[in-house]
Amino acid sequence: MTAALAAASPVRRATAPPPVLEVSDLRAYYQTRYFGIEREVRAVDGVGLHVAPNEIYGLAGESSCGKTTLIKTIAGVIRPPLNVVGGSVRFRFGGGELSVYESGAAALAAIRWRHLSYIMQGSMSVLNPVRRIRHSFVDFAYRHIAKPMPAFWQIVRNHLERLHLQPGVLNAYPHELSGGMRQRVTIALATVCRPEFIIADEPTTALDVVVQKGVLAMIREVQRELGSSLLFVTHDLAVHANLTDRLGIMYAGRLVEEGPTGDIFRAPLHPYTRHLIASLPRIGDEAPKQGLGGTPPNLADPPPGCRFHPRCPLAMPVCREQNPPLLPVAPGRRVACFAVTSETVAGAAS
Amino acid sequence: MSAPLLEVDGVGKTYAMGGIFSRQHFDAVADVSFTLDAARPEIFTVVGESGSGKTTLARMILNLVAPSAGAVRFRGTDLATIRGRRQRLAFMREVQPIFQNPFGAFNALKRVDRYLYMTARHFTPARGAAEVEERSDRALRQVGLSLAEIKGRFPHELSGGQLQRVAIARALISQPALIVADEPVSMVDASLRVSIVNLFRALRDELRVSIIYITHDLATAYYISDRLLIMQKGRVVESGDARAVLSHPQHPYSILLKSSVLSPDAAGRDELTASALPLAEDTSVQAL
Amino acid sequence: MLAVLRDLLRYNREFAAGAALMAFVLVISALSFWSPYAPQDIYLVPPDVPPSWAYPLGTTSRGQDMFWQLTFAIRNTLLFGFAVAIISRILSLVVGLLSGYLGGAVDRVLMSINDTFIVIPLFPILVLFYFVMRDSMTWALLALVMAGLGWAYDARLIRSIAMSLRTREFTESGIFSGMTTRQIVTQEHLPYVLPIMFSTTMNNINWSIGLEVTLSVLGFTNVDTPTIGVMIYWANQHTALVAGIWWWIFFPVALVVITFIGLFLLAVSMNEYIDPRSRLSRMGGAPS
Repeated sequence: MTAALAAASPVRRATAPPPVLEVSDLRAYYQTRYFGIEREVRAVDGVGLHVAPNEIYGLAGESSCGKTTLIKTIAGVIRPPLNVVGGSVRFRFGGGELSVYESGAAALAAIRWRHLSYIMQGSMSVLNPVRRIRHSFVDFAYRHIAKPMPAFWQIVRNHLERLHLQPGVLNAYPHELSGGMRQRVTIALATVCRPEFIIADEPTTALDVVVQKGVLAMIREVQRELGSSLLFVTHDLAVHANLTDRLGIMYAGRLVEEGPTGDIFRAPLHPYTRHLIASLPRIGDEAPKQGLGGTPPNLADPPPGCRFHPRCPLAMPVCREQNPPLLPVAPGRRVACFAVTSETVAGAAS
Repeated sequence: MSAPLLEVDGVGKTYAMGGIFSRQHFDAVADVSFTLDAARPEIFTVVGESGSGKTTLARMILNLVAPSAGAVRFRGTDLATIRGRRQRLAFMREVQPIFQNPFGAFNALKRVDRYLYMTARHFTPARGAAEVEERSDRALRQVGLSLAEIKGRFPHELSGGQLQRVAIARALISQPALIVADEPVSMVDASLRVSIVNLFRALRDELRVSIIYITHDLATAYYISDRLLIMQKGRVVESGDARAVLSHPQHPYSILLKSSVLSPDAAGRDELTASALPLAEDTSVQAL
Repeated sequence: MLAVLRDLLRYNREFAAGAALMAFVLVISALSFWSPYAPQDIYLVPPDVPPSWAYPLGTTSRGQDMFWQLTFAIRNTLLFGFAVAIISRILSLVVGLLSGYLGGAVDRVLMSINDTFIVIPLFPILVLFYFVMRDSMTWALLALVMAGLGWAYDARLIRSIAMSLRTREFTESGIFSGMTTRQIVTQEHLPYVLPIMFSTTMNNINWSIGLEVTLSVLGFTNVDTPTIGVMIYWANQHTALVAGIWWWIFFPVALVVITFIGLFLLAVSMNEYIDPRSRLSRMGGAPS
C-alpha cells in the first residue's frame, strides 16, 4: 500500500488543503447487448466534483438519476455491463495519490477498508448472518490494523465504546440485533480502521424515523472524530439538510448544482433544485405545494441539450441544443443552467 | 351523523409464533377502532413505523386478512360474512387498494393497460372494447394522464410517478367509495410525491372518495390528512384531528416521533448531536 | 416467433449448436418413415457386417441393418421422452401453481401427495411394475407411469415460485381488477414459471430417456419395440462386445449422447433467452 502511494506524484502545495477525492469529467455507461439489441444507458455523464478533508459531501438526486452508479464508479466496484468511458477518479491519501482507473487493481485493493471504506444500505450484506459479529470484525479489520490479537480487540472495544455501543454486541448474531443496531455496528465496522474516506450509500433509508436520527448523529460524530471525508448519498433532502456540509444535486446523470448545503436550502439556484426544495412538505406548513410536471428522462435516450429542459419553466431555445456547463456563479457555488449566471445571482442578491 | 361507510370495531390480529408446539403469540394489531362517515369523504391517515401493524390493518380493511378479534364492517356488512365471487366483486367495486411500489403493482411482463381493461370489464357495465377503453381513458384523465400515453406500454417504459397514477386510475375505474393507500408515495421521487398527494386531495373533493392513507411520513400526513391515527406496536397511541395531533402531540411516542422528523429547515445549523439522543430505543438485543 | 428463432440462432452459439445436434437427431428419427425394413423383422440382411458402403453402420447379429434399426430406436426413445416430459410438466404446473397460489388446505393436501411421490424410490417401483404387468407393459403405459413418478420435484419448485409471486403486489392488483384464480395463475404467474419449465422439460426428457435406456438394457421393458435401450439389450444378449461387434453398441450410445448434449444446450440457451430479467433488458427495461 505505502509503495503504491509513494510511487505516485508529490502532492501539490496550495493554500487550501488539497482535496481527498477529485473526480473529473467522469462518464460511466451501461453497455448491454442482448441478442443483437445494443443499448447504452448514460447513467453518469460528465460529472466533476471534489471532496475536501474533513468534509461531508452530500449527493442528492431521485431514483435512476445515476447517483448510485456514480459512487460505484468512484469506489471502483464496477463490473460489466457498467463501463467507465472517460474521465478520472483520484484519491489523495497521506501524501500519495491513487487513480482508481489507472493505478491497477492491486493498489486499489490495498487502500480498501484501510483508507477507503463503505457504509451500505443493507447491513446484512456486510455482516455474515450465520456468524457472530466479532468474526466480521476479524474478517474486515484484523489484517489492516496489523496488531496482535489482544491489542486488536482493545482497539475494537475502544472504538465501540466511543460510538456508545456495548462491547457485548460482538458476541451477538446479526439477526439478534434490531435494524438500527445493525446499522450502527456496520458503521463501527466501516470506521474501526480510521479510514480517511468513507462512502455511505443510503445508509439510513431502510430505517424508521426514530432510529434514523440516532444513526445519522452517530455518523456525524464518528466523522468529526476521525476527521475523515464522507461522501453521503441519499434521495432524502431532509437528511442532507441535517448532515452534509456541501451538497451536489444530480439530475439524469449530471450534476446540476453544487454548493454549501445551507446556501442551497436557503437560496436554490437551478430550477430543478428550486422546485425540489419548494415542494418539501413540513409539519406546520399548510401552504399548497406544486408537483413537478413531466417525467424523468430515459437515460438510454436522453433529451438533447439540457436534460431538464422538457420539465423546466425557464427553458429557452438554447437549452434544447446545448448542454449547460457546470459553472461557478457565486463563491463556492456551481450551477449548470443557462438561465442562472453570476450576473443574475448577484442581481437577485442585491 | 349519517350511516357509516366503514366501521373498524375493535379489530385485532394475532399471529402464532414459533413451531406447532409453541404457545407464543404476537399481536400485530390490537383493539383498533375508528369510523368513516359515508356522507363526508375524508383523508384518514394511519401513521406508524415498521412493525406498527399499519399494513396488517390495511389488509384487514381490504379483506385480504381476516381479523382474529373484532370486526370490520363496510356499509354495515361484516367483511367476514362475504362469501363467493359475486359478493367479493361487489365489495371490491367499492373498496380499492393502491400499493407502495408502483413498479411492483403491475406485472413487468404485461402491458399496463390490461389491468385497466380488466377492471372496467369486471366492475362496470362496459362490455365492448371501445366502451372499456372509454372508461379507462376517463379514469386516466382524472389522474392527469390519458389512454393515448399509456396504451400498449410495459411498466418499465413508464416512470414511477406515471405508474402510480395508472395504479390510482385503475382503482378509480369502478368508482369506489373508499381507497386504501398503503405507503403510496414512499417509493415515489420527491418531485412527484407532492403531485400524487395533491391528487388524493382532488379525489376527495371532486370525486368524493374517502381515502385511508397509510404512511410513516409525518410531513405529508400533516399536509393532506383530515384525521389521523398514530400506531405503535399494533396499538393506537393517539388519534384525532390531524393538524391538532401533529402540532401538539400528547402521547410520549407521538412526541418522540415528531421530534425525530428531520426538518429541511435545519440546513447549515448542524443540529445533529449524539448526546441529545436517546439510545435506549434500540440498544438492547431484541428477543424477536 | 420466427424472428426470435432467427435471433437465437444468430447470436447464441449454445442455441445454434444445440439446435444443430437436435436437428440431426430428428432427421435420423424421421428417416424411419422411409425404412425399407419393418422394425421387428430379423435376419433380413447378412449378420455381423462391419460398417461398409452397403451398410453404413453395419448390421447386427440378428440380421438387421443398424442404420434403419437406429432410426426406429431413436424415434421411439424421443417420443417416449417427450411424452413423459409433457404429461409430467402439465401435472407439475397445475399442482405447483395452484398449491402455491391458493395455499392453506389445498396446499397441504397437494403437498402431502407431492412429498409421497418424492420419497418413494423410483427404480424398484418401475421394476415391480414390469413384473406385475409383464406382457401388457407397453411403452405408452411405461410413459404414463414415469410421468406419474416424475412430476413431484418440479411441482415443489414451481410452488415455491408461485408462493413468492402470490405476495407480489401485482397479484393483488390482479385480484382487485376482478381476475379469477384461473386468470391470475395462467396470465400473471405462468410467464414467470415458464423459464424454469423449459429447463426442467429438457432435464425431464434427459431423465426419462436415461431411465428408459437403463430399464431396457436390463430387459425390464417390452423388448419388441426398438428403442435405444432395447438395441443395447439385444447387443448384450448376443455378447456383441466380446464378439467384436462394437458398432452394435457404439452407434446407439453415441446417438443418445448427442441427444443429451443437444437437449442440454437447448435448455441452457432457452433459459437465458426466456428469463424474465434478460427478457426485460431486451425490451428496454432497467439495466440492473
